[in-house]
Parts: sequence; structure tokens; C-alpha cells
Amino acid sequence: MSTDILFLAEFADGAPARSAIELATGAAELASQSGGVAVALAYGSGAASGAASLGAHGAARAIVLGDEDRPAITYAPAAVASARDGGLALLAPATPNGRDLAAALVGLLDLPAFGPVRTAGVTDGVLETEQATLQGSVITTSRPVDGAPTPAVVLVLANTFTPAEGGSGTAEVAEAPGADDSALSKASVVESHEAEAKVVNLEEASVIVAGGRGVAGEAGFGPLRELAAELGGAVGASRAAADAGWIAYQLQIGQTGKVVKPSLYIGAGISGAIQHRVGMQTAEHVVAINKDPDAPIGEFADLFVVGDLFQIVPALTEEIRRRKGA
Amino acid sequence: MKIVVCIKQVPATGADKRYTEDLRLDRTGVEAIINPLDEYAIEQALRLVDDGAVESVTYLSMGPDQAAEALRRALAMGGDDAVLVTDPALAGADEWATAKVLAAALDKLAPDVALMGMASDDARGSLVPGAVAAMRDVPLLSYGAELKVGDGSAQVRRLSATGYDWIGAPLPVVASVTDQIGEPRYASLKGIMAAKRKPMETWSLADVGLSADDLRGAALTQVTDTRAPEAKPPTERIENLPAPEAAAKIADWLAARKLI
Repeated sequence: MSTDILFLAEFADGAPARSAIELATGAAELASQSGGVAVALAYGSGAASGAASLGAHGAARAIVLGDEDRPAITYAPAAVASARDGGLALLAPATPNGRDLAAALVGLLDLPAFGPVRTAGVTDGVLETEQATLQGSVITTSRPVDGAPTPAVVLVLANTFTPAEGGSGTAEVAEAPGADDSALSKASVVESHEAEAKVVNLEEASVIVAGGRGVAGEAGFGPLRELAAELGGAVGASRAAADAGWIAYQLQIGQTGKVVKPSLYIGAGISGAIQHRVGMQTAEHVVAINKDPDAPIGEFADLFVVGDLFQIVPALTEEIRRRKGA
Repeated sequence: MKIVVCIKQVPATGADKRYTEDLRLDRTGVEAIINPLDEYAIEQALRLVDDGAVESVTYLSMGPDQAAEALRRALAMGGDDAVLVTDPALAGADEWATAKVLAAALDKLAPDVALMGMASDDARGSLVPGAVAAMRDVPLLSYGAELKVGDGSAQVRRLSATGYDWIGAPLPVVASVTDQIGEPRYASLKGIMAAKRKPMETWSLADVGLSADDLRGAALTQVTDTRAPEAKPPTERIENLPAPEAAAKIADWLAARKLI
């Protein structure tokens, strides 16, 4: 059985997604425990020319599945031959694309799968993962059953692994062997519509300032944007704010939006309903600003500021600016 | 045009849940509901019926006997009939086993579109739609904010990094939808009465052509331990302070954690 650790390396616009770099680091970490090496399954525009660069982040080898921008799941047939018995585990980004491609491999190869994990490790050749379940009230340890096919699929949220930087290695690149015809490859982008304003990738932000119903309108996000800019972060939102049309759906955090894991999350005018909480509960530090002293977010925030966000957020921006200047 | 909507019965959001001694999720005595995100799949299917694009809607669920309640509730919203796949060998099914059973049942039902919610409330992998598509060898149209069908193909409108795309594929397909579909309708009293007379079949594992051996004990994953999370310091509160003073305290707190 292979002791290598595979990972899905998504490319877009000619460059590796941040998830590819984080997972290269994570796969190398696990490979050092399993006695194998980290192997990338690279796909998307730029994968062919960029796959070797994943070596700088820990990948020993890279297998290129294809170099076009198309739905990630359409690369599953090309991944089958390399994935089958190709490693102990396969790390996949817990994004819509990553989940779809990973799910197809679960279906094609009958693989065990682990939901977004807090940690993963290999002990005596066995993969073990930890997950937070039941709204974070229980931590479970899980592993594949004896004799389960490999690799085990492990979903990983952004910011779970800190990318190894400054490396200079080059991954040995190979093309994936030809794939059998499969209906999975028949999904394609029929039409593409660009938004007027460029939207940041919230999953990659290390600081997020999020606004909810309490922000009360599109203009209310102005002060949040200023605070985010001062902190070098991005603006996010609850579903209520996105549904109201105050902000793009790409910036929605929660069960049906982005699942984020920033080092600092500041929620302003967000009550903290369970659907939002599951999208941000793994943030390292949570600060909440809300005028309702009984808002549910006050029960799980690290710092809960009771007050008017329209006064406190600008005052905080000003205070940080002052300290930076001092 | 025929749609099968896959639904899952889950414990009510926020209900008190725990693990049993043998490390399974204990769902006894907990109020059960239709997985809230599956209600958007139901709503999307019924809207396509309202628009005349779809002739029939069947609901499919895998679960214990009481999952029939969820199917009845779905039938009260609309649709034609329902199938429950239930079998003692399915207790503790993981995402792989769930997908395996749904794929086998869908092979038998042979819909043009197998429609699902984008995730379930009590297992957050979102892997079932993609795994079912792969097992059946049909295209997947996932995370649709809207679904269109017709002319031998289906399309979903899906958020992209910079806007949105329409993603299309020839029928048959597996599709999943998000909560941007629009709010699910309520069951009317008339609908609830009508649901009682709508056909519902119960299938065993053998009825979908699978054996307990095919499912390898219903799971490829096992929970080996549960524990409480690391104790976290209690929430610190800043209250009743003028904004500049509150801001200074927040800045102190951030600075102490090297966040500014």
C-alpha cells in the first residue's frame, strides 16, 4: 500500500490557488509521518506550467489532470488511475470545487471520506482525523475501517495548514494517463457573467470584518470596509445582508456561503444564528459588536462589545490608525 | 420530464444531540425534520412543475421507518409519490454508503434529474451529490442558485469567483441547489390531506439490488473516540462605554494577541 499523501491542487488564471499551496504543506506534513511523499493532482488553467512550483511548498511529485478552466468534477475520470491506491490519504479543499471532485473520487473508487477536519495525522500507518461536531460541542476522532480502499478523502478548510514559504524545490511533473469516457466530463460552462466589482476570495482572508442585519443597508458596509482595509482584511456578511442585496453573495459566510477560518473575525450587527456560526466557528479569534446584549454571538465570541456599531467601528478604525502612526 | 428529489430526515436544528456509548450519534427522542436545505430542492422541483417544465416529482429518502414522516411532509408541499429505502443493515451509514444506496435506488427510478440540497444539517461534507453522480456515471450540476430543464439538457446558475456561470449538461443529471432558490412553500391544509392518499413505497436493500456485503457494514469510516473541546476562556465583555473608550479597549485586546 502506498504511504504517499495525495492532494488536490486547483489552479486558476495561470496560478495555484492558495488552497493548493496550503495543502502541499499539509500533505508534506502527513507524508513525513506516513513515510511517503506529497503528490499533487493538479488541474485548472496554469496547472501544466505551474505544477512544478508546488515543490517549493512540499510536493515531491505532481500529476497534471488538465489545464482548462472547467468544472472541477469533470477532472475526476482523469484522476482515477492516479488516485486508486495512490496514497494513504487524499487532501481536498473544502470548497465547492474541491468537494465535488473529491466526492466523484469517493463514488468512483469507493473511498472513505472525512468532513472538514481540525487536524489529521498518521500513527503506525493509520490515518486519524479530528472533527468538531454538534456545533463544536464534541470533538470526534475518526479513521477508515480496517481494509477500506485507499486513499481516504480528507476535506480541509482554508487556513488549516500554514503554507511553507521560501522553499526552492521543484516537483517532478507527469501527465495523468488517459481517462475512460465518462458522463462526468459532460458538464460545461455554458455562459459566464462577470460582476461589476471585483470580489475577493473570502476563504483566503486572514482577517474578516463581517456585517449582518444590523448594518441596515448597503451604505452601512462603508465603515466595515474602512476597518477591514486598516486591518489588511476583507469584508464578509451574513445571509440576511446578502439576501437583502447589500453585498455580493460571494461574500456570504455560513452554511450556504463560505466557510472561513481567519485568524481574526469581527462580526458587526450579526446575531450569530447557527447557520452563520457554522461558517466561522473555527476562526481563531472572534470579536462581536452588537447592540443587543443577549445576541447569541455573545455566547461564543472571545470578545463581545455591546454597543452601536456605527459609533464603535469608525472609532476602532481611528484608534488603530492612531496607534500605527504612533 | 421526471424529477426525483432526495431528502434526508435530520434532527431539528439546535436540538440537543449527543453520542451514544458505542460512538453513534444518538437521535432518539429528538424532533426530526426535513433537512432544511432539502426543502429548497423540493421548492425548485415544484416550481418547475408550476412552470410546466416537469411532469412528475418523486421523493426518495434513505433512513429508518420514521423517515416516512419526512416524505409525507414533502408530499404535503406537492409532488406525486415517494420511496423510502430502509433496512436494518443501513444503521450508521456514512456518506459513501448513503450515496451507494441512493445511486442504486435512482438507477431503478431512472429520473431525468435527481435533485438534492447542497448539504445536510447533520453531516457537512456535501459529498453525496458528487458521489451519486459518479456512481451512476451521469453529469453533476452542483450548487445551483436556479435550475432550468428542457430540450434534453439541464442548467444551473452557479456563483463563480467573480460573478456567476450557467453550467449545463445533457440529461440525465444529478443536480444540487442552494438556498438562493427562494423560500420553500408551506404545506396547505389541503396539501396535508392530499398527501395522505399519495402512494409511498418502502424498499429494502435487496429491492435496490444491494446486499449488506456491498455496504461493508454501512460505513468506510468509524468514530474511535469523542471528547469535549479544549476549554476556552469565558467571553470577555465590553459594555456601557463611550465609543472611543470601547475602541481603545478593543485595540488593547487585539494588540495583546498580536492581531494589530
